[in-house]
Amino acid sequence: MSAPAGTAVGLSVPQLEGDDKLCGSAQYIADLHRPGMLHGAILQSPHAHARIRGYDLSAARALPGVRAIVTGDDLDERHRMGAFIKDEPAFAKGKVRYVGEIVAAVAADSEAIAREATRLIHVDYDELPAVVDPAVALAPGAAIIHENSAGYVKVFDAGTDGNLCSRTVFTSGDVDAAWSECDAVVESTFQTQAQAHLSLEPVGALAEIEAGGRITLWSANQSVFRVQASVCESLGLPMTRLRCLTPRVGAGFGNKMEAHVQPVVVLLAMKARRTVRLVLSREEDFETVRARHPFTIRIKTGATRDGTLVAREIELLLDGGAYGDDSPGVLGYALLMQCGPYRIPHVRAHGRVAYTNKLRFGAFRGFGVPQVTFASESQLDELAAQLGIDRIALRRRNMLVPGDPWFGGQAIRSNGLAECLAIVERESGWNTPLPGPSPDAPAGQRLRRGRGIALSAHISGLLASGAIVRLLEDGSVLLNTGAVDIGQGSNTVLTQICAEALQLPVERVAIASPDTDGSPYNWGTTASRVTYVAGRSVVGAAAEIERQLKRHASEMLECSADDLELLPGGKVAIKGVAQKAVSFADISGRAHWATGGPLIGTHSWVFDEKTFDPKRAAALGLPFAQIGVFSFNALAVEVELDEATGQVRVVGAWSACDIGRAINPAMASGQIEGAFVQGMGYALVEEMVWDGARLANPSLMDYKIPTMAELPETLEAYLVESEEPSGPFGAKSVGELGINGVAAAIANAVADAAGVRLRRLPLTGERVLLGLLDAAEKP
Amino acid sequence: MSAVPQGMLWPRTVDEATAMLAADPDARPLSGGATLVAMMNARVLEPLALVNLSRIDELRGIHGEADGGVRIGAFTRHAETAACALLRGPANVVRQAASKIANATVRNMGTIGGSISFADPGLDYPPALVAAGASIEIAGTAGRRRVAAADFFVDWYTTALEPGEIVTAVLLAGTRAGGAAYVKHARVAGDYATASAAVCIDAAGPVRAAIGSCGPTPVRDDDADVLLSADRSDAAIARAAALLDALADPLDDVRGSAGYRRLLIPRLLLRAVRRAEASTDA
Amino acid sequence: MTTTTAPGSTRIELDINGVAADVRAGLSTTLLTVLRDELHLTAAKRGCNQGVCGACTVEIDGVPMRSCLSLAHGCVERPVRTLEGLVETPRIQALQRAFAASGAFQCGFCTPGMLVAAHALLAADPAPDEAAIRRALSGNLCRCTGYARIVAAVQDAATALAAGGAAS
Repeated sequence: MSAPAGTAVGLSVPQLEGDDKLCGSAQYIADLHRPGMLHGAILQSPHAHARIRGYDLSAARALPGVRAIVTGDDLDERHRMGAFIKDEPAFAKGKVRYVGEIVAAVAADSEAIAREATRLIHVDYDELPAVVDPAVALAPGAAIIHENSAGYVKVFDAGTDGNLCSRTVFTSGDVDAAWSECDAVVESTFQTQAQAHLSLEPVGALAEIEAGGRITLWSANQSVFRVQASVCESLGLPMTRLRCLTPRVGAGFGNKMEAHVQPVVVLLAMKARRTVRLVLSREEDFETVRARHPFTIRIKTGATRDGTLVAREIELLLDGGAYGDDSPGVLGYALLMQCGPYRIPHVRAHGRVAYTNKLRFGAFRGFGVPQVTFASESQLDELAAQLGIDRIALRRRNMLVPGDPWFGGQAIRSNGLAECLAIVERESGWNTPLPGPSPDAPAGQRLRRGRGIALSAHISGLLASGAIVRLLEDGSVLLNTGAVDIGQGSNTVLTQICAEALQLPVERVAIASPDTDGSPYNWGTTASRVTYVAGRSVVGAAAEIERQLKRHASEMLECSADDLELLPGGKVAIKGVAQKAVSFADISGRAHWATGGPLIGTHSWVFDEKTFDPKRAAALGLPFAQIGVFSFNALAVEVELDEATGQVRVVGAWSACDIGRAINPAMASGQIEGAFVQGMGYALVEEMVWDGARLANPSLMDYKIPTMAELPETLEAYLVESEEPSGPFGAKSVGELGINGVAAAIANAVADAAGVRLRRLPLTGERVLLGLLDAAEKP
Repeated sequence: MSAVPQGMLWPRTVDEATAMLAADPDARPLSGGATLVAMMNARVLEPLALVNLSRIDELRGIHGEADGGVRIGAFTRHAETAACALLRGPANVVRQAASKIANATVRNMGTIGGSISFADPGLDYPPALVAAGASIEIAGTAGRRRVAAADFFVDWYTTALEPGEIVTAVLLAGTRAGGAAYVKHARVAGDYATASAAVCIDAAGPVRAAIGSCGPTPVRDDDADVLLSADRSDAAIARAAALLDALADPLDDVRGSAGYRRLLIPRLLLRAVRRAEASTDA
Repeated sequence: MTTTTAPGSTRIELDINGVAADVRAGLSTTLLTVLRDELHLTAAKRGCNQGVCGACTVEIDGVPMRSCLSLAHGCVERPVRTLEGLVETPRIQALQRAFAASGAFQCGFCTPGMLVAAHALLAADPAPDEAAIRRALSGNLCRCTGYARIVAAVQDAATALAAGGAAS
């Protein structure tokens, strides 16, 4: 895996797609246009839970310009999709399960006509009682959202029963006995909210249909392969019939990882026998797609007098929404990660996902870890306070050091956490006094400062990836990995890895756009996996090309392949004899025209290290047996709290990430900075609010994310390189790591500033002010 | 799709505009568009004709009046109001409010006339205009009239405008010495106010205060103003706030609960008074 | 309605990037729809259609405005400049170089609107401090970068323009 650095790896190469984006010529799904294409529009359910008795399409059909209408009657009952549990039809069939669910769709000559037609569709509903609270959903007597939940196909032992979507238990040691060893025990309940992804680009898809029935589907997505699988499963199509492609994508954060409107658009195209493009409005995107899981977290942690962590019990209840989507994965992963990067010998971690009549909750950067980190890191501060131990000292005492395994027993072979913590402690000025509250402010109007810290981790994982490297006739290289670049820069990073492996300048490596017809399988751009997993595939495929290059060169130079080395710029030479060399172009010519055939290097693999060691831990209903390698983060924040309003603003954030090796330092830092600000929104202001079963704030007027005005005065990202032996050039991934600790660090800083411990997100001005008033009343 | 839209009309004078509005009850006045077009995009409103006010010279610009007052034409963009040096002393509250509306780009579009005609209680101008003691000049086919700002905002999204009438100007009394503050508490920059407080202190003594986003219209009280005019101690401000709280009728919404808004009233009022005291005449 | 074939559509002439553009627009048709659907000038994006996100920002009458809140009919006789029409200007080119060097974009969806707003800022204020940059750009939402690199890029572009002596 190692090669002389400096060709490409470690350089902050500017994004390959930059020119198009900076000129405004980048083509996102809403920019794609086909002559004669139809425009689609959706009809959404007004009810949270209802049986569909029938449809009256006569008025809609009569509208001039309407070319096709699809409803649940066009779907086969047996066809369902779902990442873990096949519980979801292409769109509502037989019943609706949340307000806003897609019930029907229209393709018409213009978007206006399509939207008008949807308003003319009449759907006959029999309303059913709606369940919006996950605890109520799991209680006896609750209306059942999926009558056949036990009968759905599942990819793991989910324990599905009624409104229980899945359950997972993960234990190690003997937690019941361990409490007696503890000198301090803290137990509380934390509550987190639903967060909307708010990618600037709303979801959309464009389906083109050939006369023979083959379909080409463009969509804003994070995985062409998940799109292909979901559309084919939900429509009952053989996968050979569907080709999935990706235009420029305007971010995802998890919203575009599983299906959104793709099945609907394909069905419309099939029915109309014409190309159809459908792009959701912002409000529709808010209401229909997916969001971050609300968690209820009951957590108990015990330590000995010197601050050594001994025992942890945590129980999670996830609001899963109407369909399973990634919920079982989020639950399992949150339980795996809830200890944080610490040694805790006795743990019982368990949880459940409940179906409710809300939109599905699914993958969102962090995948359950921001939620549990909020609880766990808050509790560590509380323990520290109870024991009279410094907050950083408590963490240092318990944090995983090189050689320690993760909770459950997976070995960790690169661990830079100590350096991360040292950096943020120093750079944040942690041990210097904070400015005191503003002296000349009127009573009750002071600005108070506080500091908080959080340590967290994330995996670079999982599942399968392949890479194909082809030597073109002129000696340049084409790389194809199937990985979708959603703006995070994976095209650039993978190109750098390939260029480095073959000692080529970056300009001589091109990267193909993901295409289910031509690309090797890549599970998706999710789980912070592309740099690590796809990167490893690229290194493997490049190594294969290198073998083939050397085989040709050994014949051309009449020596043994072992005596050859790659030289920068696309040459193979005898070691130490640079003049005895042949160029990649020479070799390619020989291969294409004389002997051997075109050089194609491939590598394909599935992450295969087991998540837990059965001698150390027991798991029930764990949805993934293999997960990934670990990256680590230390985050320090400084906040300013306005006593008058309770409003909290972040004035400084210092985030250090151990990412093994920074393939592209500027991009890695960009991920950390962006994740921080998104996490800051989660911590302080963002909340999807339901009025009964109806989403009350599905618009940017009412759902607010941080603006440039909220950017902290200081936002610093630090990259620590611990050299992961299994990683491409030592690299691990960074996409999600930077968000996990943000809410926790801010909550800890608020407690430091005001002596107020808040256990519910977001930490709005209102909640903080009420907390301050509460604290003032206590003796 | 219902009736066919007639199109955009381009009056050159206020009289032409009011005549067009009187002739077609389905026509609506279009000012900056920041409010109206957002509602059209959301299909909340589907006007069949629009009377575009942008070419009426009389409605544009901010002018000093002979008596020392300031006249802000209805078609004055927020960006211009936010930069206007004529708005000094107590009148500066209007400039501060303008500078806090939405964001810089929207401030290039929205106008004071369009904004106050919409009368969203979450807007920034209403409490500022009430605290400034502004009056609103209105034109209709029957002629012109003036209404005190406090009487212009009548209810949720309801003003004193009769059908077919438009705002032509906002009038502020002479720029005397004094200070002003518009304090806006919002979740993030650019959001509507969760609650706001506008305070004007005339160097000659009178103080006027108004609270925004705590009811269907800006909350003000003669007794509170009298109290503050005589005494600006913390205790007096608290008493004034209590009087305002008694008249407030805040909502629960995503920005905050009614209870939180009531907690904010005395806090924002205190902050606004102190800032108004500290502000200079510029 | 968001289509140029809405009933009641009439032909109007707009000044788009210095070129007379003949388009069909209904009363409720926005400039954003005309730019994207009729003229295929797709740099301006539809992120919210309510004027909040800023992805639709263009210049009208020389100042940044929301094309999603501008009615096409209301834009007659008013010069409209989109990013496509500004890419030849030294100011935009300096911003593009600075954005690329700073990593001031990731997915790029907010970038056209951000560039138009930054261009207008530098035209009005060639040496903006950080507070001025935040004030000018707080209406352009970005979900990817966390904004810090955008601020740095605008400052770098201002410095480069001042050093290059470019005045327009």
